[in-house]
Amino acid sequence: MNLKEKILADPEGKSLVNCFSCGMCTGGCPVARISDYNPRRIIHKVMLNMEPEDIWLCANCYTCEERCPTKTNVADLINLIRRITIKKDGMPEFIKPLVENLKTTGYTVQIGELENKRRERMNLPAVETTDEIKKIIQKTTLK
Amino acid sequence: MKKYAYYLGCTIPFRESNYDLSTRKVMDNLDVELVDLEGAGCCGLYYEQINELTHLAMSARVISMAESLGLDLMVLCNGCNGSLVKARNKLVENSELRDKVNEILADIDREFRGTSEVKHMIRILYEDIGIDEIKKTVKNPLNVKVAAHYGCHLLKPSEQIKFDDPREPKSLDELIEVTGAKSVDYFDKNLCCGGFVLGADKDIAYNMTGQKLQNVKDVGADLMITACPFCHVMYDANQRAIENELQKKFGIPVLHYPQLLGLAMGFNARDLALEQNRVRVNPGIFDS
Repeated sequence: MNLKEKILADPEGKSLVNCFSCGMCTGGCPVARISDYNPRRIIHKVMLNMEPEDIWLCANCYTCEERCPTKTNVADLINLIRRITIKKDGMPEFIKPLVENLKTTGYTVQIGELENKRRERMNLPAVETTDEIKKIIQKTTLK
Repeated sequence: MKKYAYYLGCTIPFRESNYDLSTRKVMDNLDVELVDLEGAGCCGLYYEQINELTHLAMSARVISMAESLGLDLMVLCNGCNGSLVKARNKLVENSELRDKVNEILADIDREFRGTSEVKHMIRILYEDIGIDEIKKTVKNPLNVKVAAHYGCHLLKPSEQIKFDDPREPKSLDELIEVTGAKSVDYFDKNLCCGGFVLGADKDIAYNMTGQKLQNVKDVGADLMITACPFCHVMYDANQRAIENELQKKFGIPVLHYPQLLGLAMGFNARDLALEQNRVRVNPGIFDS
């Protein structure tokens, strides 16, 4: 299956067919305003069976979805495109440390001694690490 | 007495513990009891882009901790709010997905049932407690001009979150004004902080943050108020770096909303760990 077919096969991707490329998403997009990023082009390219670019520049602010006159879930579609892309090409470098931290501490960051010392001084309860997240990640990504 | 399961997420205990501290102070003063969740871990936000099932299971796990206490979940982070509410909606609507997730959670002796709601602290203050009740606790009305920053996932996607009006929100403005402060209008008030693109493209993120700081400065606001630890990191902790990057000077203090409310309740700067805010806040500006 190509990208478009994969999107349409996913329950999250159904709204792709709503889009008529009006560009309301891009007109309101805070990233498009200051860069070449263009959500309209991303969706349009997917429909034309072309490879979309800049998929990691979406700020996930959902302004596009709020503005869209056809109820295309633009931001959710971009998240779906990211998931499909990761499945094919692997994770981009900047996400890898977050996942490593999740596996070792249960948080996206290395919460440890230093933070808990500060919290103790502030009379706040210590933050405990957990291995449950690691178990969830292993169980859900094995297949 | 109102009671909630209290969820911090990742950013708050790692670098924004003053948000945690000030929230506990104001909630206590409002007779709201908070129950800590031990080893609560991450809500799964980043997995929305990596693997849907992992995201849903991680979110369901956090919600299940509140469910086992029979309490609704209070969250302080917009990112957690969006991630948890969206996951909860999906799992409540789709029993097949719910079964799949519960099969994963069974391994860690947990189960998602959909009996607890996920609510952002701002929503709890606005809807569950209400402006009138909060007003009764204001002992020291503040005389400052404030720029409200709602952030994104407190309100959007609105079809999922169903709180306030994402185009013309008023909850945070009203919560600011109940402290005596004036909530000022400014250009692009609904603009995103850019935090989510920080990893992929720092220039874009800093540019977005800087645009808003400039707009806030342009209307002469004394300070900015956030409702999300990551927005706060962008505007406060990263403000100096952004000033250097963009060759501009902002000098805008940024407070977590409960720090502002706490000052109005009569707590002092130390009680609210105001000294941990990176852009120095001169407590004198609050004197009327």
